[in-house]
Amino acid sequence: MGREDGVGGHVLRKEDDRFLRGRGSYVSDMVLPGQSEVAFLRSPVAHGYLRSIRKPAGSDGTIFTYEDLTGLNSIVSECAVPGFKMSELPPLARGKVRFVGEALAMTVAPTRAAAEDLAEQVEIDIDELPAIVDARASRATPAVRVHEDWDDNLFVTLNYENGFEAQARGAKVVVKRTVSLARQTMSPLEGKAVVAYWDDRADQLIVYTSTQVPHMIRIGLAEALGLDEGRLRVVSPDVGGGFGYKCVLQPEELCVAWLALTYRRPFRYIEDRREHLVVGAVARQHHYELTAYADETGRLLALDAEIMVDGGAYSSWPFTAGLEPGQAVGNLPGPYDFRGYRCKSMCAATNKPGFLPYRGVARTGVCLALELMIDAIAREVGREPWEVRHDNLVAQAQMPYDNVARKHYDSGDYQKCLRMARDKIDLDTWRARQRRGEPDGRRIGIGFASFCEQTAHGASVLASWGLPVIPGYDEASVRITPDGGAEVRVGVHSHGQGMETTLAQVANEILGIGLDKIRVIHGDTGATPFSTGTYASRSIVMAGGAVINACRLLVPRVEAIGAHLMQCATATVRYEDGRIVGPQSSTTLKEVAYAWHRRPDRLPPDCDLGGLEATVSYKPKVDTGVFSYASHAAVVAVDLELGHIEILDYVIAEDCGTMVNPMVVEGQTLGGVAQGIGTALYEESPYDENGQPLASTLADYLLPGAGEVPSVRIEHLQTPSPYSEFGIKGVGEGGAIAPPAVLFNAVNDALHDLGVEMSETPLTPHRLLAALERARSRTARTEPA
Amino acid sequence: MILAQLTVNGRPVSGQVEPRTHLADFLREQLRLTGTHLGCEHGVCGACTVLLDGVPVRSCITLAAACQGAEIQTIEGFDDDPVMGELRQAFSREHGLQCGFCTPGMLIAARDIVLRVPGADEARIRTELAGNLCRCTGYRGIVRAVASVATAERSAAPGAPAVTAAPFAEPAAARAEMARFTVAADRPALAPVAAAAAPASSGEEKGWTTFADSFVIAAAPEPVWRMLADFPLVAACLPGAELTGHDGRTVKGSLRVRLGPISAAFAGSAAIERDEAARTCLVKGAGSDGASRSRTRGELTYRVVPEDGDRSTRVLIDVRYNLQGPLAQFSRSGIALELARRLLADFAANLNARVSPGGQAATVPAARLQAGRLLWSALWAWARGWFRSGKT
Amino acid sequence: MKPAPFDYMRPRDTSEAIAALAQGGGEAKLIAGGQSLGPMLNLRLARPKLLIDISGLEALRTMDEESEAWRLGAAVTHARIEDRRHDFRGCPLLPTVARDIAFRSVRNRGTVGGSMAHADPAADWPLALAALGATLLLQGPGGDRQIPADDFMAAAFTTALRDDEMIAAVRVPKFSPSARFGYFKFCRKVGEFPEASGAAVFDPETRIARVFVGALSGAPASLPGLARDVAERGSPAVTAEAVLAAVTAAAPTLSIIEQRMHAETVRRALRQILPT
Repeated sequence: MGREDGVGGHVLRKEDDRFLRGRGSYVSDMVLPGQSEVAFLRSPVAHGYLRSIRKPAGSDGTIFTYEDLTGLNSIVSECAVPGFKMSELPPLARGKVRFVGEALAMTVAPTRAAAEDLAEQVEIDIDELPAIVDARASRATPAVRVHEDWDDNLFVTLNYENGFEAQARGAKVVVKRTVSLARQTMSPLEGKAVVAYWDDRADQLIVYTSTQVPHMIRIGLAEALGLDEGRLRVVSPDVGGGFGYKCVLQPEELCVAWLALTYRRPFRYIEDRREHLVVGAVARQHHYELTAYADETGRLLALDAEIMVDGGAYSSWPFTAGLEPGQAVGNLPGPYDFRGYRCKSMCAATNKPGFLPYRGVARTGVCLALELMIDAIAREVGREPWEVRHDNLVAQAQMPYDNVARKHYDSGDYQKCLRMARDKIDLDTWRARQRRGEPDGRRIGIGFASFCEQTAHGASVLASWGLPVIPGYDEASVRITPDGGAEVRVGVHSHGQGMETTLAQVANEILGIGLDKIRVIHGDTGATPFSTGTYASRSIVMAGGAVINACRLLVPRVEAIGAHLMQCATATVRYEDGRIVGPQSSTTLKEVAYAWHRRPDRLPPDCDLGGLEATVSYKPKVDTGVFSYASHAAVVAVDLELGHIEILDYVIAEDCGTMVNPMVVEGQTLGGVAQGIGTALYEESPYDENGQPLASTLADYLLPGAGEVPSVRIEHLQTPSPYSEFGIKGVGEGGAIAPPAVLFNAVNDALHDLGVEMSETPLTPHRLLAALERARSRTARTEPA
Repeated sequence: MILAQLTVNGRPVSGQVEPRTHLADFLREQLRLTGTHLGCEHGVCGACTVLLDGVPVRSCITLAAACQGAEIQTIEGFDDDPVMGELRQAFSREHGLQCGFCTPGMLIAARDIVLRVPGADEARIRTELAGNLCRCTGYRGIVRAVASVATAERSAAPGAPAVTAAPFAEPAAARAEMARFTVAADRPALAPVAAAAAPASSGEEKGWTTFADSFVIAAAPEPVWRMLADFPLVAACLPGAELTGHDGRTVKGSLRVRLGPISAAFAGSAAIERDEAARTCLVKGAGSDGASRSRTRGELTYRVVPEDGDRSTRVLIDVRYNLQGPLAQFSRSGIALELARRLLADFAANLNARVSPGGQAATVPAARLQAGRLLWSALWAWARGWFRSGKT
Repeated sequence: MKPAPFDYMRPRDTSEAIAALAQGGGEAKLIAGGQSLGPMLNLRLARPKLLIDISGLEALRTMDEESEAWRLGAAVTHARIEDRRHDFRGCPLLPTVARDIAFRSVRNRGTVGGSMAHADPAADWPLALAALGATLLLQGPGGDRQIPADDFMAAAFTTALRDDEMIAAVRVPKFSPSARFGYFKFCRKVGEFPEASGAAVFDPETRIARVFVGALSGAPASLPGLARDVAERGSPAVTAEAVLAAVTAAAPTLSIIEQRMHAETVRRALRQILPT
C-alpha cells in the first residue's frame, strides 16, 4: 500500500540466502546422538487378510508390528455428513491390508540401509482378496468390500439440487460428455520425514516432522499417543514442498513418535521417492458424467453431473474422504451465472492409498470438466469458445454474487479478466495463423479456461462437516524486541510461499520497522500461537490478518509510552513509520522498546500490562471465503504423427485482490501452472487390475522439467476483497487449477474438425494417437465406398 | 568397510564407508554437509548434484568408494566462487527458488551451464536444465536467472572449462539431393531368431496378463507328451530352473531369473493336472522372491498336437500370470512378446536337442537368455518400465 | 532406498578385472559410470555380490584416431564425445548422438561401453553404433574377440558378452566426406528415454546404406530394403507408406500406434539426409 517494503512492495525474499548456500534445515538433515534409522516393510499386495508376520529370532526392539505398538491409537477421522462411513487407519497394518505400500512392519537400525536389510528378513503371509481398483466398478461388486463392516464401498454420497428441472426444461442445446482424471502423486522434492526424541529437561516428546500444519499434527499425535498436548512439541523446520501431501496426520509420524516415546531416544524416518510414488498416489482421480443445458446462443441454463472420486482405502485426518467430493459439488458451477444445477458426488473406497487434498483440491478436476463443457457448447452453437465463456461469466455488476451452489463470490470482474487473457494471447493473430496452417504440418489450437477459487474459507463453511479440527480464528503474536525490532510468530507454516518475507511486509505496513529487523518465526508449536496451518490458500489472508491485528494492538501501547517519554498527552501523538510523533517533538519505537525493557523507571505509571507483545487472532468479516479468480489462455501445436504437444504460448490474467508481494504471487501461480501441466500432459500413477501400482520411479512417473514448461506471461487485476484485511485473497493453489482445462481445450480446438475430442488426463502421445486412429477408422467406415 | 580418501571443498577428508554407501550419504551423514539433498536416489531429479573433479554428477548414484582421490565440491564450497555469487543473486532477484530443496543441485547445474555454454539462449538453457527438477517455481525464474548470468563474456571467467559446448543446431532437412547409388553387399543379415515359433498373441484378461505361443519338437506326439511329464528333464531345459522336489501332481523348486543386472529368485510350487486323453496339461503355480518380496501366480496350459503327420509335434501354450510387489511396480510395455518367443525357442531348442540322437550334451547354453518360464514376461515388464515410462 | 550389501574392488588393469569377473561366477558386475546400474542398486533390483569398478582404468579411457576408424575406449564418457575433444572426422554423428543422451550430469559419468553392455533397447548407442557399423572389441580370459555392434545386443538387456568378458573398446569406421547421417528420437520429455528412435547412414562413395529403427522390444532392427530403396531412388522412396511397411515388417509385434510412431521417427531421420 503506502510503504515501499509494506503490502504490495516488490521485495526480495528474506529466506533466500540460507537456501542459496545450502544451509536450509530440513528434517532429514538432522542427526542426533544415538539416533536410529527407521524403515517400513510395505505390503506387496493390494488387498488381503494378513495371516501372519514372522520376525527373525532376536529381533525384539528392532522389528515392530501392530501388536508391538502398545498404547498407540489408529487414525480415525470423524465427519458429520449424513451417511458418511468412517475408516480406521492403523499405524501398521492390522488384520487386513488395503493397498500396496501399506506399512506392515517397522524396522530400526543404525543406518537406513541396515533397516532395509532387516525388513527383508521379515516373512509375511497374506491371504489375497480381489482388489477394488476401479472406483466406478466398486459399485457393481458389493460383495468385495474394502471395509467389511460397511454395506458397500462408498465413503459418502452427496446429492445437491437447485432449480435444475425448471432451468433444463426447454433448453435448445444439450451436450453430454465424460471426463476422467488419472491418479497422481504430489511429489514435493522432499518427501515426508520425521525425527522424534524425548527431551528430559522439558519433559516433552519433541517431534520434528515435515509438515504444513504443526499445530494440527500435535493434536492428532497427542490423541494417537494418549499424551497431554503440553508434553508434545511439534517442530516443522524447512519443508521441501508440501502441496497438500503434508497437511494430514501420517501413520509414519505416529510410528516414529511412538518409538521415541517408548525408548526415550532419537529415531529418524525419511520417506524415499519410491515410497512416495507408491504410497503417495493420492490425488486428482475423478470421473465425471456431465450434461449441460444451454440456449441457442450458448448461454448455460443448467448442469447435471455425476462425480465419482476414487478415494483409496482410508479417510485422511483431519480432512476426511468427504472433502474431495464435497469440494467437487460446491465448485463445479465455477465462475458462471446459471440457475439450474443437479449433482450427485460420490467417493468410493478402493484398494489404493487414501485420497489427500492436493493443491487445488477437486477444482483442477471440476475446472477441466466444466471448461470442456463450455467449449463443447460453443462448438455446438458455432461460436468462439472465449465469447461463449465470456457471456456466461458472472458480470461485475452482479457482485457480490450467490451462485447456484450457494457459494458467495465476494468481488471481481471475471469478464474483464477473460478479455485481458484474450488480448494478451493475441487471439486474432493466432486464429489467422491457424487458418493458414503450419508449414511443418502441425496443427495449432487455442484454448481458454476461467475459474474462481474459494480461499481462506473458515468455520462457517467447514463446521457443518463436523471434522476433527475446524479452522476458525488464526493467531499471531508480535513482540517488539528491546532494540526496537519485531518478532512475528505465526502458527501457519511457510514452505516456499515466502511468508518469512510477506508477513514481515504486513508487519512493516503497520509498524514501519525495517524488514531486516523483523523476524518471522513459524513451524514450532513451542514457539508460535495456534493455527490449523497452511492449506486452502489461506495463510496470507489468515496469518496476515492476525499479524495486522497484533501490530494494530501494539500501536496505542507504543503511543502511550512514547507520549509519556515526550511528556505530552497520549491523545496528541500518532504512530508513523516507526516514530511516535507529538505536537513538538517525536521519539522512536526503538526508544520506547528501550524504555519498556531496560528503563522501566521512565514508563508511565498506568502503562498497558500487555507490554510490547500482543497475541491476537483473526478471521475475515465474512468467512465463507474470499474468491481469487483467473483466466488462462494457451496456444499449442499438435504433431499429428507423433502425438507430441508443444505449448507455444501461455498467458494468465489473474486477480487475487491486493498483492502483498507481486513477485511471490507470480511465483505461486507459475509453480502451480507447472504442476497443472504435469496433470494435463505427463503425470499418472497407473494401477493394474490387481491393484499393483505401475509407476514407482521417476522414469515411470514423469514430472515436468524446464523443457516442458513454457515461459508463462502473467497480468494482474487487483480487486480488493471487501471481507479481508487490505483486501488480500489467497493465491497458493490457483495456478494448478486451470492448466489441464486450457490445454485440453487448446488441443481440442486444434483437432475437433478431425473428429477428435480429448477428455482423459494425462494427454499422452499414445492417448492422442489412439484417438486420431479411432477417428480415422470412424471416418473410413462412414465414407461411401 | 573401505577407507574413502578424497578432497571435499578443498579439504582432504577420509572416512570408513560401506561399499554400498553413495557419495550423497557420505557427504550428508558423515561429513554433515547437508546442502546436498536427496530427492529421488535414482538419478532423475538432480537435487544431489555436486561437482566431481570439476564436473556436475549425481551423488546419489555415485559410490563414495568410487571417489577415491577425487575432488568434490558441494554447495557449501562455493562461497568464494564469483560465478556462484552472481547466480545466487540472480536466483533471488528472479525468484528462482521457493522451498529451496532443489536449489543446491540447481545452482551447481546452472553454474556448469553458465561456464560451458556461454551466451546460451532460453531454449538451450531449458534443455540443459532438464536434469534438475523443481516442483515449486515453474522454472521461469530459474531460467531467467541463468540467462542473466550466462552472458557471452563469461567464456573468459576463471574456472571455465577448456572446452565449451559445441553449437546446438538442430540438423535441418538436407537441401541438396543425395547422389543415388547401389548398395554394396553389407554383412549377411542374421537369421531370424525363434523361427520355429508361430506368431504369438497376447492380451489382458481381468487381473491377468495372458499370452499364447507354440513351438515344434522333432519327435512324435506320444514321446513328447511323456517327456513333458519328466519334471527333472523339463527343469533341465528351462534356463534358471531348479527342481527341489516333485511327485506326480506337484513340483517344488525355484527359478533364478536374471535380466541384465537385475536378478530375482522365485521359490514356489506348482500343481500339475495332465489330461492324458486330450494330451492337455494345466500347470498352476505360485512363487515368491524373498528379497524383493515380489509374488507371482500363474497358469500354463499346454496341448500336444501332431504336426506334419505324426513325425513331429506342436506344443501349444497358453499362459496367464500376474506379478505383485516391487518387481511389478513399474509401467508395463508390450515388449514382453519378443522375449517370450526367445525363451520358448530356447526351451524348444533344448527339448529338441534331447530328442535328437545323442543330443543330451547339445543344449543351448542356458546363460544366453537368463530369464525363465512364465515369469520372465512379467519380469520384463518391470525391468522395462524402469527405463521407460508406460505407453498408455 | 539403499542398496543391498556388496563387495567392491578397483582392479589395477583389465586382466585383473576379467579374473575377478571369472571368479564371480555371474555374481560380479562391472561398474564404470554407474548411471544405469546405480539406480538399480539403490532400488535393490540389482543385487551383485561384487562390484568391479573399472572407471579408473586408463586403458579404457582413451580415444584414438586410426586411419580408417575412431577407437573409443569402453570407459569414455558421453560428455567427452559431446565436447568434441576430437574433431571426429568421418564420423560426425558421434557427438550429435552423445549430446542428447539423458542429462549433462549423467553424460559426465555414463560411458559408451556401459551403455552397450547394459543393452537398454531405448538407449542411443546400441542404435547409433549399429547404424554406423561399429565393432566392439571384447576381452575375456580366453583372449580378445570382435563383434559387430548390431550382433552384440541379442535382446533387451541381453548381449553377446559372456559372464567373464568385458568390452574394451568400440571401433567406429570413418565415412567419406559425402556421407550423410540422420538421427531422430522422440522423447516425451527432454532427456528421457525415447518412445521411438531412428538412425540412417548413407555413404554414396563406399555404397553403404543403413537404416535402423530403435526403442523396440529388443535390439534395434535394420531396415535393409528401405535403405537400398532410398540409396537407389532418393527422396521418392521415403513415403510414409514405405517406411511404415518396413517398420511393420521389422517389428510386427508393435501396436499399430507404435508402428506409426516408430515409422515417423525413421522418416524424420531420413529427412535429415534427403531434401523433401
